[in-house]
Amino acid sequence: MNELYLFARVAGTPIAVRSTEIEAVVKVSDISPVPGMPAHIAGLSALRSRVLTMIDIGALIHRRATPLEGRPLAIVADISGHSYGLIVESVSDICTVSGGELPLRGQLDAAWMPYAQAIVENEGMPYLLVSLAGFIEPRQLMAAA
Amino acid sequence: MDDLLQEFISETQETLEALAVEVVAWETDPDDRDRLDAIFRFFHTVKGSCGFLNLPRFEKLSHAAEDVLSDIREGKRVADPATVSAVLAVMDRIGELAEAVASGAALPNENDDFLVQSLQQARSPETGETAAAPANTARREGQASPLRTIRLPLTLIDQLMNGVSDMVLARNELSRKLRDRSDPDLDSAFERLSTCVADMRDAISKTRMQRVDRLFAAIPRMVRDLGRDLGKVIDLELEGGDVEMDREMVEMVVDPLTHIVRNSIDHGIETPEQRRKAGKPEAGHLRLTARQSGNQIVIEIMDDGKGIDTSRLVAKAISAGTLTSDAAARMTDQEKVDLIFRAGLSTADQITAISGRGVGMDVVRANVERIGGVITLDNMPGQGLAITLRVPLTLTIIPGLIITAGGQHFAIPRAAIVEILHDSNETLSLASVGGACIASIRGVRHSMIDLEDVLGLEKPAQAGPRTVMVVRSSTGIPFAMGVTAVENHEELVIRPASPPIMAAGVYAGMTLPDNGQPMLLLDAGGLSNAARLPNIIDDSAARDVDDVVATAADVQTVGALRFIEISGEERLLKLSLIERVEDIEASQFGVSGGRGFVRVEGRLLPVANAHHRFDETSITSLRLRDGEIEAYYPVARVIDIVQMPMVPDMILSRGPICGIAVVDGAHLEVVDPFALFAAIPTEAIEEKGGGRCVLADADDIWAQEILAPLLRQAGHDVVFGLPVDGAMRADDIVLTTRADTDVVAVPKGQPVVHLRSARGPGSGKDKSIYRYDRDALMAAIAAARQGRAA
Repeated sequence: MNELYLFARVAGTPIAVRSTEIEAVVKVSDISPVPGMPAHIAGLSALRSRVLTMIDIGALIHRRATPLEGRPLAIVADISGHSYGLIVESVSDICTVSGGELPLRGQLDAAWMPYAQAIVENEGMPYLLVSLAGFIEPRQLMAAA
Repeated sequence: MDDLLQEFISETQETLEALAVEVVAWETDPDDRDRLDAIFRFFHTVKGSCGFLNLPRFEKLSHAAEDVLSDIREGKRVADPATVSAVLAVMDRIGELAEAVASGAALPNENDDFLVQSLQQARSPETGETAAAPANTARREGQASPLRTIRLPLTLIDQLMNGVSDMVLARNELSRKLRDRSDPDLDSAFERLSTCVADMRDAISKTRMQRVDRLFAAIPRMVRDLGRDLGKVIDLELEGGDVEMDREMVEMVVDPLTHIVRNSIDHGIETPEQRRKAGKPEAGHLRLTARQSGNQIVIEIMDDGKGIDTSRLVAKAISAGTLTSDAAARMTDQEKVDLIFRAGLSTADQITAISGRGVGMDVVRANVERIGGVITLDNMPGQGLAITLRVPLTLTIIPGLIITAGGQHFAIPRAAIVEILHDSNETLSLASVGGACIASIRGVRHSMIDLEDVLGLEKPAQAGPRTVMVVRSSTGIPFAMGVTAVENHEELVIRPASPPIMAAGVYAGMTLPDNGQPMLLLDAGGLSNAARLPNIIDDSAARDVDDVVATAADVQTVGALRFIEISGEERLLKLSLIERVEDIEASQFGVSGGRGFVRVEGRLLPVANAHHRFDETSITSLRLRDGEIEAYYPVARVIDIVQMPMVPDMILSRGPICGIAVVDGAHLEVVDPFALFAAIPTEAIEEKGGGRCVLADADDIWAQEILAPLLRQAGHDVVFGLPVDGAMRADDIVLTTRADTDVVAVPKGQPVVHLRSARGPGSGKDKSIYRYDRDALMAAIAAARQGRAA
């Protein structure tokens, strides 16, 4: 019940991420592109001395690259020993939710199927609960490809 | 409780590792009380701790072993091989159990009673024969004095490492910002900060270092066990255990090393009987040494066994269809030996349990090369085999080239590059057939790819010629790769890239250069796979090609001096430029006008590199001569005279280095003689012709004590008093402090420099120079000399 969630918006969809998965939220700085990568691997970005692999969740879901001009935000996470930056459109809040995690209801868009785990409600609005690791794990990538 | 358990497990594991060596040594010399005590203490400690931690199986095992050892201590029984084996078996079991507890896995469900029984059985007196020692462990030199240590989680060290890297980046940024404003106070404070950061970085990197001892720890036990299994007697010698290398590197080298040692015992060293027949001592000799050479660790494994039977190898390769007999006939001995690195070839008649687990030398080589190492063989048929592993000091720092392609920067390991040339080079011709591109370099045909095509980048229009590099992947088949340009070569700190990036198969890692722009390290083998280049060598063609290259290389080698720079790099310099190597006192070096010089034989000669201040008292220097110019080149140490290719294997034209040559498997930088001599200031050459200065006032204290040393230091010979017979050389310059010097005494036309003791500008007529105005004095002498020469 006391778990903190980060609420964000990705590809027009409100999502929730468990705060335990998150290290920081940063503004995206320069991204060095990595040739030969699927569209959702936006490239590499340096965060101090760390190098983040930037994942464009929007491109993963809707096959449309998120425009980087507006210097969007990225969620920094450490997933199995590597640092990633997951690009999101906006971040709205970090807080606990009273209802906890609720089961998925309704017909979920196929694009979200591999990633959505549950629903959490914040201020009466439903958010898709996703796991950041889910966007990275090869199994999921293959399912999306 | 968990903490206690964790502590117990890691302590047990560490002691076990250290003890493996002790037990084998103890077997050799059962009277060695110290060792026996050490082993006894181990079991005793384990027994005590596990009673407390409630680990009954540990307790039972250690109790049984302790009993046996205590009997030996009391002289009730001797430490025969059977007992030692039983003790070792118990130690192994304890190790397994500890491993299981540590990983939280189920304890291996085996019967410990059997082990305990074998311990007790070994106790019966009739097994008490003392067999010849199967393995001797030479005592390693210099037992380290006990250091106070603490145990730290690796993640903490990594965190520290990252913190320091952050600091370095912040420092760099600060340095960029400071460059715009010049404030000496700020600069010196910043300088101090920089030194601290650099020191800290060094210290932190040291925490990652581990003694090679750890790498060697398992060897004596393995040698002993294998020797017993195979009925061979092996004399093992370990040397250089105190050399340090990166912790991760140790992990990476363990497997190849173990494999080589297994091979050596299994296939190399003969049985005692065979050895007697061959006129060798019955005990085979196996020697492992480790040493540091530059930024590499060199590990040598030498045995005095039968070596590699090259004719058998060749026959096998031919029968396997990977080699034509034609090609075989053209191969040199070394090439034949190197066949052992081809997949699926082995001289062993049958697969044995020891080394024949389907892992061959090809895998060993691949493993060594993957970490940026090199493996070489020195085969002496019938006499033995020496295998040399050269691995970088750390996993994370490798020499690399920065290249540009499609407007992006990439790094590629220097070891993977054979040659670099421009596509305008006349030795290179490009042809394309059916879409395939072929590059012929001096008659050698390579598959040609453009990096941009492989990576799916745009190829921007380019004014200058493109660069073609010949890349050799670890699979050994070189190919040509076109890139926009080669930018630079530097030591790169490599870190692993994330799995999605590695999945592309063409990257080996990434690096973060000082400019803060992440850069990817290319994987040569991966590129060739991604481009789907044919992976089969046409043997005969390749062989011809190699012949051409080999003979060409033979013709074109020149003697070179291999030395270590004061800054630590190992470099080569053409021998013909070096007149001799001298040790010069550091006090003879100095700096003048920002240029280094050295005083030798009463002359001042320029220093060819920027060094002129040293910590040591005596400096090894190379005396260089290009026919006219002479110069000195201080170095840290001279290593050897070697043959290097006339044209370096890899051409670079930046700074003082003209390329990279491969000598004895090491990549060495070749000093560019052209750049070297071009950088020597020409004024210095005039100075070296320093002639005599005649001090007219021989009795003047000032002239003797102050002027003369000054002149000598500037490279002039000093003569006191006008020569009695008036015999003056044409280039002599007379210096006098008295305005009324008898000008008659000075031969007519001889240049005279007048000095005065009054400060302030001289009058128009008075050409004298204030005697403490050093610059004016030197200028006057130089002017007088030039006037003379003209």
